[in-house]
Amino acid sequence: MITKFQVAYKNLHRKRVRSLLTLIGIALSAWVLVSLLGFNHGYETSLNKDIDNMGFQLMIMAKGCPYEAATMMLKGGTGLKYMKESIMDDVAKEPEVEKTTPILMAAVFDPNKGESGGIAGYFGVEPKSFSEMKPFLKFRQGRWFTDENAYEAVMGYEAAELEQREVGDKILIPEKNIEFKVVGILERTGTQDDGTIFVPLRAAQKIFNRPDEITTLGIKVRKGVDSTRLEEKLYQLPNVQIVSLAQVKETIMKLISTAKVMVLSIAIIAVLIAMVGVINTILTSVWERFQEIGILKTIGAMPQDIFKLIWIETLILCTTGGVLGIILALILSRVTDLVIRHVLPYAPSGGLVLIDLKLVLITIATVLGIGLLSGLYPAWKAGRIRPLEAIRGEVGR
Amino acid sequence: MKSQSSLSWDIFKKAMVFAVRTTIWVLLLVLTGTTAAWSAVGCDLNDPDRDVARLFPESTGYKTVYVSIDRKGGEPLLAKIETRLGDKFRGIYETIDVPYTIYEIFTGKKKVGYIHGVNQKGQFGGIQVFVSLDLEGRIKAFYIQKMTSKYAGKLRDANFGKQFLGLTLKDFDHYDVVSQKASGKVEAIKNPAPEAEADFRAALRATKKNLVLMDEFVYLPQAVSSIPGGTQK
Repeated sequence: MITKFQVAYKNLHRKRVRSLLTLIGIALSAWVLVSLLGFNHGYETSLNKDIDNMGFQLMIMAKGCPYEAATMMLKGGTGLKYMKESIMDDVAKEPEVEKTTPILMAAVFDPNKGESGGIAGYFGVEPKSFSEMKPFLKFRQGRWFTDENAYEAVMGYEAAELEQREVGDKILIPEKNIEFKVVGILERTGTQDDGTIFVPLRAAQKIFNRPDEITTLGIKVRKGVDSTRLEEKLYQLPNVQIVSLAQVKETIMKLISTAKVMVLSIAIIAVLIAMVGVINTILTSVWERFQEIGILKTIGAMPQDIFKLIWIETLILCTTGGVLGIILALILSRVTDLVIRHVLPYAPSGGLVLIDLKLVLITIATVLGIGLLSGLYPAWKAGRIRPLEAIRGEVGR
Repeated sequence: MKSQSSLSWDIFKKAMVFAVRTTIWVLLLVLTGTTAAWSAVGCDLNDPDRDVARLFPESTGYKTVYVSIDRKGGEPLLAKIETRLGDKFRGIYETIDVPYTIYEIFTGKKKVGYIHGVNQKGQFGGIQVFVSLDLEGRIKAFYIQKMTSKYAGKLRDANFGKQFLGLTLKDFDHYDVVSQKASGKVEAIKNPAPEAEADFRAALRATKKNLVLMDEFVYLPQAVSSIPGGTQK
């Protein structure tokens, strides 16, 4: 015996082009919806990962000191302020602090970079504490320096590529004319570490004439600890500024919230258009089969049978369209990622569109819910058709 | 004879197949393009508007085109370039997929020459050597954009660059980049910083590499027709 599902499928198959176009409309809406939900999820995950990749959640600097390499370069290597290395002891006493790592940033003018010269930047780090904070740093070649006073350098991937350096090669610090031996080249991380040249802290303090001084102290906070309380305590230290990466994250999230509202609005519009498409298709199909439905009723079909039949058609369209849309979103997630990356003011590294099982289920449920809602009116209308009037073709034509 | 509905179904199927194929091609292009962007570093002028005007004073505009050995001819082209250079591409950065930026120089609508730069491993860092060439491949200007050396000032000096003016790839054919033996005009190029002999030799190798690449990308008859389009300023 032929089932209601088979009848519904056959009905859709009879008007293949119309059914396919509706299916495409639903698939596109599902694609937009799942991609945007994936973006919401992926952006935050990537941003968190980027911030975790910094290795520390808080940074202490002398007041007015630029806290990352790009700012330092923009300011032409000037504006660096220094604090005593002994600040580490004061910070380490706080129970919320798990680890600290001292950094000495240094910038020198290189007259032989471009037409009018440029800035070369160096990060003096303590290999043990720095690598513990950043366990994700992997070496493409070589290793960290073993001696804190050695004239050795570890280069980020892009810095090494620009300088065409390999392990065993030498680099020269302009102005100082001091040679360093490259002992390690890092894998690409997608962070500012890629463009950084790391040298041992003690060696950096010596050649840049900054004994016992640092520019930055990276702090890793213990898990589950309220970092705001720690921040308040650290603000009591004289002449320092605290940069909380949670604040940085919050600022970035605020920046993109407008973009998120815009894209979510587009998603809602796309879903509404698809909903109207479904209503149109099913309703047209009901009108076209007006007499047929009348005959079905004459031979014993109850209003609820007709209602179910029409609703199953909606169900088939929405399920297939939703699944196709999700497949499309999964296939095109890389392209979506590139497009979003192109338009956003700041995009973290890693996948920006993250589609997981939960999102897939939410999308299918949403598409199904909206589809079934759209099918309600046509199904109800079909269920109310009076057999005799339908066969005569008088009503609703 | 086909019914109207089956005819429209056929058209629809063909359109769907076309759409799927196009999507796959776009995806492949995007994905391969992204991979290339992450794989190797090219050599661009730091400030093209300013540098083009300085290196090619008669220019009124330029167009930027990007070429790589990988896309232009693959392994056979690399082998040919290495043979003509007289040396293998070395290290982890001198690779087949390096994107080369060629600045096509115009006076009005007339093309008058090219500017092209290459990266070269130096003693203490990367060296970026640019040459501007007329349409016959003759060097009109020589410019070391970046060099790290105690003696970089001497090698970046205009007087050192002047020694390269008027030279062509033919002159460099007599220069062996491995044994560093030269004859003719290249032999006459004097090193202004004998203490930086390694960087001087690196600059000569970079110049020969630059000229060989330009010959393969632009000057050889088969190269002219296949140079890809770029952006004009």
